[in-house]
Amino acid sequence: MGNENPAEKALNLIRGRLCDPTFVFRPLSASSDSNYSKLKFIVSTSVTEGCNNSILLLGPRGSGKAAVLDLVVGDLMEEYPDSVTLISLNGLLHSEDNCAFKEIARQLCMEHHLLFSKMASFDENSQFIIAMLRECGLAHKTIIFVLDEFDMFAQGKQRLLYSLLDAMQSVTSQAVVVGISSRLDADQLLEKRVRSRFSHRKILFLPPSREEIDSLLEHLLSLPADSSFPSGYVSQFNEKIKNITSDTRFKDMLKTFLNANSTVNSLLKFIFRAVSSMNLESGLLSLENFKTALSSMQRQPKLEAVRDCSILELYLLVCMRRLEVKEQSSYNFISVMKEYKTIHDSFQTSDFYAQNVCLRAFEHLREREVICYAENRGQSQAGEYRSMKLLISASELHQGMRSHACCPVSLHFPSFYFCQLTSLATLFRTSLQFCYAVRFLHLSVTSMSRWREYVNLRLTCSISDYKQRSSYNLQDLQVGNFIYNTQPHLIKSPPDLRITPYAKNCDSQQRHLNAHINSPHPDQISYVCVLAPRSLLSSPTLQPHLVACLTNAPR
Amino acid sequence: MPTIAGSEKSECIETPRKRKLRSEEVSLLSEDTISTPKKLKSRQRIAVSNLRTPDKEVKQDSHENLAVDSLSDCLGSESRDEDQMRAVKEALHVSKAPSTIVCREDEHRRVFEFVKGCLDQQKAGSLYICGCPGTGKSLSIEKVVKQVGDWSKQACLPPVDTLSVNCTSLTKTADIFSKILEIVEPVKEDNCYSSPLHRLQSLFSQKQDSSSRMMLIIADEMDFLITKDRGVLHDLFMLTIFPFSTCILIGVANAIDLADRFLPKLKSLNCKPMVITFPAYSKDQILRILQERLMVLPYVAFQSNALELCARKVAAASGDMRKALSVCRSAIEILEIDIRGSPGPESQGPTPDNPVVRMDHMTAALSKTFMSPVVDTIQTLPQHQQIIICSAAKAFRGSKKDATIGELNKLYLEICKSRVISPAGITEFTNMCTVLNDQGILKFDQARGNKLKRVSLRVDESDITFALQELSSVRRTSSLQWKTSCAKNSRAKM
Repeated sequence: MGNENPAEKALNLIRGRLCDPTFVFRPLSASSDSNYSKLKFIVSTSVTEGCNNSILLLGPRGSGKAAVLDLVVGDLMEEYPDSVTLISLNGLLHSEDNCAFKEIARQLCMEHHLLFSKMASFDENSQFIIAMLRECGLAHKTIIFVLDEFDMFAQGKQRLLYSLLDAMQSVTSQAVVVGISSRLDADQLLEKRVRSRFSHRKILFLPPSREEIDSLLEHLLSLPADSSFPSGYVSQFNEKIKNITSDTRFKDMLKTFLNANSTVNSLLKFIFRAVSSMNLESGLLSLENFKTALSSMQRQPKLEAVRDCSILELYLLVCMRRLEVKEQSSYNFISVMKEYKTIHDSFQTSDFYAQNVCLRAFEHLREREVICYAENRGQSQAGEYRSMKLLISASELHQGMRSHACCPVSLHFPSFYFCQLTSLATLFRTSLQFCYAVRFLHLSVTSMSRWREYVNLRLTCSISDYKQRSSYNLQDLQVGNFIYNTQPHLIKSPPDLRITPYAKNCDSQQRHLNAHINSPHPDQISYVCVLAPRSLLSSPTLQPHLVACLTNAPR
Repeated sequence: MPTIAGSEKSECIETPRKRKLRSEEVSLLSEDTISTPKKLKSRQRIAVSNLRTPDKEVKQDSHENLAVDSLSDCLGSESRDEDQMRAVKEALHVSKAPSTIVCREDEHRRVFEFVKGCLDQQKAGSLYICGCPGTGKSLSIEKVVKQVGDWSKQACLPPVDTLSVNCTSLTKTADIFSKILEIVEPVKEDNCYSSPLHRLQSLFSQKQDSSSRMMLIIADEMDFLITKDRGVLHDLFMLTIFPFSTCILIGVANAIDLADRFLPKLKSLNCKPMVITFPAYSKDQILRILQERLMVLPYVAFQSNALELCARKVAAASGDMRKALSVCRSAIEILEIDIRGSPGPESQGPTPDNPVVRMDHMTAALSKTFMSPVVDTIQTLPQHQQIIICSAAKAFRGSKKDATIGELNKLYLEICKSRVISPAGITEFTNMCTVLNDQGILKFDQARGNKLKRVSLRVDESDITFALQELSSVRRTSSLQWKTSCAKNSRAKM
């Protein structure tokens, strides 16, 4: 296909690179301190000096253990073409001793053009292996045993490991045992006689550093100058890549991605997705590509399920969550309906649905596995009466509601008091949708000192234009007389904001407090929200009071 | 033994120090006269070090002198370092069996006496040897076998048949009897009607012709013979108490009480095997063995305090000789890399004339061998995984041993919020937990539901705190940066 589009060709080239571990790990192994050179040093000394060795390669999955080993073995095979034999086993396949010996014998036979008998017994195989080890040792041929998923071999009597490592103790053999494992404690799993024969050499594969990632990105993404691509295209493409990688937004994105999983393999997957969404017409990568790749890799299916719910379904979910917060351990559809009615009564919403409609929504939620029956028993009961449970957490519900397209404001309020209050704060700050007039909020505080210490009053005021918002931290709020020494601009900005004590029963043990907002235009005034740490809110004295207060919210 | 060993020990400790001092003197001298070729130097030093060493050593050293002459004559000074290294490494490799056994004289003698006694009286007997791995059991036995062969030749006794079996190589535990039978009865008779064990038992219970030879059976890693009913092990030891048995059985294993635990019946028959225990090597013994191995070399490869450090550390950990050897070998390798890394233009002047493993090399090698990779790994984990580990450590601080993934996620979210880090979703959270589980940092229990899986912590909490404390200073700045970038983002959105 000579008349291929250069963009397509570039895409194929980069994809091919991403799938080729030798290409990826070659630049990472250049320095003398890298795992490649460490491993190569050990293996090549046993090739040249004829001494036995055993090494463990440790690191998380996808950190390039096997790839680096392949590189080393490949290079050694080139350097010493006739004196290296590779025998590779995998713990997932050959963890059973008999099977492992058979496989080793088979690979040895393949390597030396001998006839392998499937019928050979365990004894014969092991004798054959010992004999082969001796022969190879005499001929100065090194056998490299690669045991992938090394921890799987360390089960049971560990006969294979014992016989391999015991063979390392004799002068006649010339072999290296390389174990690859993601378990950090792989050598602790060994029986003690096996551990004693193991040489305690471990090479740790750590995630690449920032500089290494930068150079890796450049290595992977930039097109070669001396190729069949049009020269203008190459320079344009590379320029664009340089722009993207030096962009701080890209760096932030990369950082969020690497904060979750920083192995080389996951990075490759990320880049692969980004490259695959490249615009073929322009033939250039853009920052958008990486953005979509990131969002497609960090999907949250449950959140998406909540986001796609209808409003009625959201109501039901919130009701269930409210019931859970009230520490009602088991509830069914009927009790959820009761809660729904309470919410509806207190907020006077116009959208009240009949019970059969709700039941359908309920079934729908159950089919999507957002909720489920709490227990498998009692299948004879009608669905309404069986106890239910939520399958999503509070924070997921909240995030889902926040990102919902048309979630009614009244729904957020009943769910306030159960959400973690720090997240509530972010909720207020970020979304204009919540500028709903909440008139008052009672808070009972157990003691003065705790109030001082913990209560963190945050005022978020939205003034008539709904744009100038600010949040204040009234830490020096005094409860007794309610004089607050705040920054002067706070006192100036909302002239109609006043906070008065609600009840004057100045019992030092229990104070009731009312944050009251006076405003000439009730719909313009925002709310006052008193935030307390979760420990305070979940205290038993407070909870019923708050609940009562919320349900009795003034019209 | 202790008295003799004591005097020897003190010598052994002293001599290398002396040597070292002298070598330093020599090197000082040689720096003045830069042009002195290396081989001259080394010979000089040996000559000096010969002055006050005991006669035995002098003899050896004179040997070595010859060796050095021949060695250094045929080699240029360039490749000499490498060859020295290679020789040292070879001398320290586990596969190289030492010519004489030191520090095991007593045990060796007892085993030999036992075998000799049995052979003298033409009587069967059993012996059980136990000890930790790497304490020289198999090595001593090998030597005993050789010695017994020599001795029986001298004493004009009929030669002894020897059967050494490593029990790990047996497919079925009962195969050991057929192996014994092969030796007792080399001419295979038609005995398919009875098992090898029965055949042996009947052989040993009848009077045999006088020409029958004694047989030495050595069963290494004997605990592989333990079966559910302990039949094989029991039968094996019972072979030695038949009236006309010719077996001398030597069992070797790690467990100290194997005979007591698994062979109670033998005790009641009053034929319990004699037990010889190989204790773990002490610091002095390890030091002595290492020196003995290095004695073969014509030059000082290790600083004496480096060797002592290694011996101390290994003796304190396990007393495993193999480990001590491997530590020394990796110290040499570190030195080798050091040398290989440093040379280049200024290789003539400042490079140490004779590469010696110093304390720092040894400490590096020791930490490489003994340090667990957990701390390093935790320090380099991605941020979110570190937070997960943190929350797990927090959760399991008390008496609690495990929690469900849901509970762990709650804690994780709390930490994220307190640090103003946007948390990862539950799917990603589970993925990260799986990654940690793969690495053996967390452990999942088998359960069906994803969220109901129980998680427990596999690494020590102190490891985690140590790892994260070191990071915390770095973290503080990075989280600040993170916060500012967050603020920027939100401002941008507004």
